[in-house]
Amino acid sequence: MATDLRISNISKIYPGCVANDNVSLQFKSGKIYALLGENGAGKSTLVKILSGVISPDNGEVFLNEKNLKLSSPLDAKKNKIGMVFQHFNLFETLSVFENLSIDATEDNKSLRVRINEILKKYNFSIDLDVPVLNLSAGQKQKVEIIRCLLRSPKVLIMDEPTSVLTEQETEELFISLKKFCDEGILIIYITHKLKEVLSLCDEVAVMRKGKVVSVSQTQNEKVETLANKMVGQKLAKIKKKINISKNKDEIFKVKHLNFYSDDPFETNLVNLNFSVKKGECLGIAGISGNGQNELFQILSGEIITPDTSIIFRNKEIAKLNPKQRREYLMAFSPEDRISQAAVPELKIYENVALNNFKSSNFFEKGLVNERKIKEHSKKILSDFSVNTDNVELKSQFLSGGNLQKLILGRELITAPELLICYNPTWGLDVGAINYIHETLIKINNQEKSTILISTDTEELLKLSDRIAVIYKGKLSKIMPSEEVTPEKLGLLMGGGSID
Amino acid sequence: MIKIEKRNDVPMALYFFTPFIAIILTILGGGIIFYILGFNPIEALKFYFITPISNLYGLSELLLKATPLCLIAIGLSFCFKSNNWNIGAEGQLTFGAIVGGGVALLFYNQEGFYILPLVILAGAIGGMIFALIPAILKTYFNTNEILVSLMLVYVSKLLLDYLVVGPWSNPEGFNFPETRQFSDSSRMPLLFEGLRIHAGIFLALAAVMLSWFILYKTYLGFQIKVSGLSLKTAKYAGFKGKTMILVVFMISGACAGLAGVGEITGPIGQLHRMISPDYGFTAIIVAFLGRLNPFGIIFASLVVALTYLGAETAQIFLQIPKYTGQVFQGMILFFLLASDYLLFFKVKILNLKKNELRH
Repeated sequence: MATDLRISNISKIYPGCVANDNVSLQFKSGKIYALLGENGAGKSTLVKILSGVISPDNGEVFLNEKNLKLSSPLDAKKNKIGMVFQHFNLFETLSVFENLSIDATEDNKSLRVRINEILKKYNFSIDLDVPVLNLSAGQKQKVEIIRCLLRSPKVLIMDEPTSVLTEQETEELFISLKKFCDEGILIIYITHKLKEVLSLCDEVAVMRKGKVVSVSQTQNEKVETLANKMVGQKLAKIKKKINISKNKDEIFKVKHLNFYSDDPFETNLVNLNFSVKKGECLGIAGISGNGQNELFQILSGEIITPDTSIIFRNKEIAKLNPKQRREYLMAFSPEDRISQAAVPELKIYENVALNNFKSSNFFEKGLVNERKIKEHSKKILSDFSVNTDNVELKSQFLSGGNLQKLILGRELITAPELLICYNPTWGLDVGAINYIHETLIKINNQEKSTILISTDTEELLKLSDRIAVIYKGKLSKIMPSEEVTPEKLGLLMGGGSID
Repeated sequence: MIKIEKRNDVPMALYFFTPFIAIILTILGGGIIFYILGFNPIEALKFYFITPISNLYGLSELLLKATPLCLIAIGLSFCFKSNNWNIGAEGQLTFGAIVGGGVALLFYNQEGFYILPLVILAGAIGGMIFALIPAILKTYFNTNEILVSLMLVYVSKLLLDYLVVGPWSNPEGFNFPETRQFSDSSRMPLLFEGLRIHAGIFLALAAVMLSWFILYKTYLGFQIKVSGLSLKTAKYAGFKGKTMILVVFMISGACAGLAGVGEITGPIGQLHRMISPDYGFTAIIVAFLGRLNPFGIIFASLVVALTYLGAETAQIFLQIPKYTGQVFQGMILFFLLASDYLLFFKVKILNLKKNELRH
């Protein structure tokens, strides 16, 4: 029996953010559908609505033309919508069988028979009586899938299923998914990995900033066309000044940067080598989740990696923490303004004191020099045109743009030789974006260097002198930005290669 | 349907006012319990909250009980403000008392002005060392400090048990589980003839002033504040996270150790099994009721000390068990948490249209 799932005009608004803006999509069984988008594009919200975890502000969901009221996950189960989340919902200390029997309605004996049938049918090899904590990520995912299959679902939604899988496990998963599809289960596959979309899915919907921006057959798409749709590439290319940065000294040099993490949700970095010249902006492009977080934290000193060499102004700084690195005139602007770069509950001047360097004298002999910090903060507020002059104001009352100006001001007022920033204009309005771009160009003109890690290709092409792309923790060749086209960038960001 | 939303603007004035609301609700709740138990609620509450402090002796007892609560809560505020959940102050108090008491026993037949300072110092160091155990395990082995510090409470209590019945028991004590009496030189000087209030209260007041200074005027205080609000930011700013964890636990342990030594050199005068009616646990309530603010903690320690006294008076006059004190302490915490919840979140009752109700 064919299944037809239709989403009609779904909207969900959170304070300060439209997560889903009038989303309409149609899915039919017999095909695998991809829902593609960057982090924050609204995919997860849509999935949570389909699985009944949150209710939309507006809009309806139809399954075989029946209007579904999905006000709890139970409703989704009743309507045969199955869901495998990115983070597993399993009790680690219980056995596989116990996990599966928790919400089963039948007795253990017949349940075991049915589970064994599923195991056999799909070639899953899992011991039902071992505790879940002994399973690999791929096996845990299979347990979740079995849990869905036990309810003979009509729709199976997979949320970023491969983020924790090995290549081998990914292949196995794809084989199973194709089998499910042949059996008439409608599969919706959520991801930000372009290659997977092309190899697995039949049709792809791209979301950006809460909206569906394109629906197309995957056979008509390539990695770079999808990448461009995903990050919202405007084809008109804005070039900044041509910086004659040849023959200049290398101020910052990274060698053998490797990072390995046990956490499956972190990206490992593999042998990154690059350098930055005086007055230059090095752009690092990439789709979010390819190792940018880890790279930023290693460059700022929040994570110390062994055997890495980081030379800054002829000194080895790889073992120094962020505060010590600041003493050598480095500055950092992280992606997360609200919970990392600043603390909303703190007053403006207290947030300024976070960039505490020796010559600031913010803290003399361990005591707070409040007068000095406030004077300094006043200067930042006026120099960087933050729309308040009240240093006692709590930072939570600043808009995103003003908060970012404050953070950038705090980092730049020490006249650092190198500023490392990560998505500095993320979520800001046009006015604030322009101001920040101008500021970043200005510091390059003052012979200071910047490393710009960004997922916004337009921004990268506008500001960078040289660009490299990070993909799955590996860095591409570094290219002069005159030679880079959006198409090239899209190809590299999707894991392709150019030669 | 009920919907719960986070409030965006919580007025600070209200934040410091809700503890009073919690106290008023606790008194009302207590009245209802007394009524159900068959007492005249007004009369019973009078026995509970007014009678104990209606004379000089009662006031002295109030300060006597508030002293350890205040000391411990001041120490805990350092931990709690920086997101370190030290639940084991009772153990640090006990271990501080053991070390301090050990020194006092060494000098049991000697006199000298230097003995008391030595005993106090030993108590503080004892508490500090005992608090360092969960801190070191947390920083170097990633253990959970809540579990470790809590379990160590029982370790210290059993150690105390062993010492007072075994090696340290009074040779002339007819096998009672207690040590010798400390010499007068190991005792806290009394402030007034005939009252039990002793010089330990000055330690508590000094701790209040010092903690206010450290928390609000020093770099350490700034780091504690930032770490408590956002560990990510603390890391980004390059604070030495591990050192800070060790320092706040040491401060907390030292305060609890001082409280323990204050009890044994003050009203008790020896070591035995029951040196603290769970001051270390009750101080957690004191710390939160005082909003982790040094001066708030003074006030909160007086309120909670009153529940101890009230419970004793109620036992005498109403023949109800003194464990009602814990009921009151529990109610204070409950109402405080409940009013905080309503302070930070608003509950909306949504009017659904008729056709929506049918689903």
